[in-house]
Amino acid sequence: MNLIFGVILTVSTVTLIFVEPDGVLTSFLNGTEKALALSSQMTVIYAVWLGILNVFEKTGLTEKTAKLLKPVNRFLFGPLPEKANDFMSLNIAANILGMSGATTPMGIKSVKELEKHPNTEYALCMFFVINATSIQLIPSSVLALRIRCGAVNPSDIIFPTILATLLSTVLGILLVKIFMKKRGDKCRFI
Amino acid sequence: MSVYLIPVFFLFVFIYAAIKRVKPYDAFTDGVKGAIPFSFSIFPYLASIFVLMELFEESGLSSLLCDFLSPVFGFLGIPKELTKLVLIKPFSGSGALATLSDIYAEYGADGYIARCASVIYGSSETVFYIAAVYFAGSKTKNLFKPIAISLFASFLSCVFACFICRIM
Repeated sequence: MNLIFGVILTVSTVTLIFVEPDGVLTSFLNGTEKALALSSQMTVIYAVWLGILNVFEKTGLTEKTAKLLKPVNRFLFGPLPEKANDFMSLNIAANILGMSGATTPMGIKSVKELEKHPNTEYALCMFFVINATSIQLIPSSVLALRIRCGAVNPSDIIFPTILATLLSTVLGILLVKIFMKKRGDKCRFI
Repeated sequence: MSVYLIPVFFLFVFIYAAIKRVKPYDAFTDGVKGAIPFSFSIFPYLASIFVLMELFEESGLSSLLCDFLSPVFGFLGIPKELTKLVLIKPFSGSGALATLSDIYAEYGADGYIARCASVIYGSSETVFYIAAVYFAGSKTKNLFKPIAISLFASFLSCVFACFICRIM
């Protein structure tokens, strides 16, 4: 991340100095402003979902979900610490159901929990790849936009989308299984 | 169908909470408490990524990269009109949505280009954004392999998306 950041930052700044010198500071400010806008949007979404999920948790439904997804988790991640397993199950369930507001907070909690334990690098990497290639069953924002733009048959993209998203997830899981060892491999820079 | 999923889920949670005698007000409030610290911890990472994107776009490097990669993408069956969408999606969901809407405006919402764009948008995720947010302030620093794997898998699914739109 430091490498990518450094290179793009330097090259862009050098180019801008030649093209439009006052654009440099403007870009920094605009970028940060957009980040703040997104953060405040996300705060609202997190607040609602963290509230609901806490009620969910208190009723003991988390353990039930975790139990239900245990075989899936075992196949994907190997043995997991119990608490991490709970959060990860909620994240995966939310991913499958397309409740995108719930995936991020549960995802962050899972990562925090996993990192408390040794030898969880493999699970962390697998978890990241699953989220980064996540299955989205109904692309609702695309549908809404297509309807607004007057598409004749807006839902004709649902099936191809499911196929494509399934392919990326399966491929991601396979690649992690092939390229990373279950224990000890530290997601190292190659 | 999908419009009912979330309300029914919420309803189920509250009814189940009542059965289990969980205090809904206390539990909900307690959960919401976590939201602001959450956003606080994520903000610096978001800011860095957005500054990076803004600079990249503003300096004209992104359109340069698009021009450079278009023929390569074209060779793999991705129409050259979609290069920008494929490139922006890993960084920003809102940026990709804006690009998608431009594509609809320019090529119509029904053509081959628009359908490819829809499938590409719907099937890929904001990889760098997820990396930044999930691992905000975490000990795991070397995410090179998982990021590379995710990007590669998403890219192949883009190629596949264009292929499937051609035959279906």
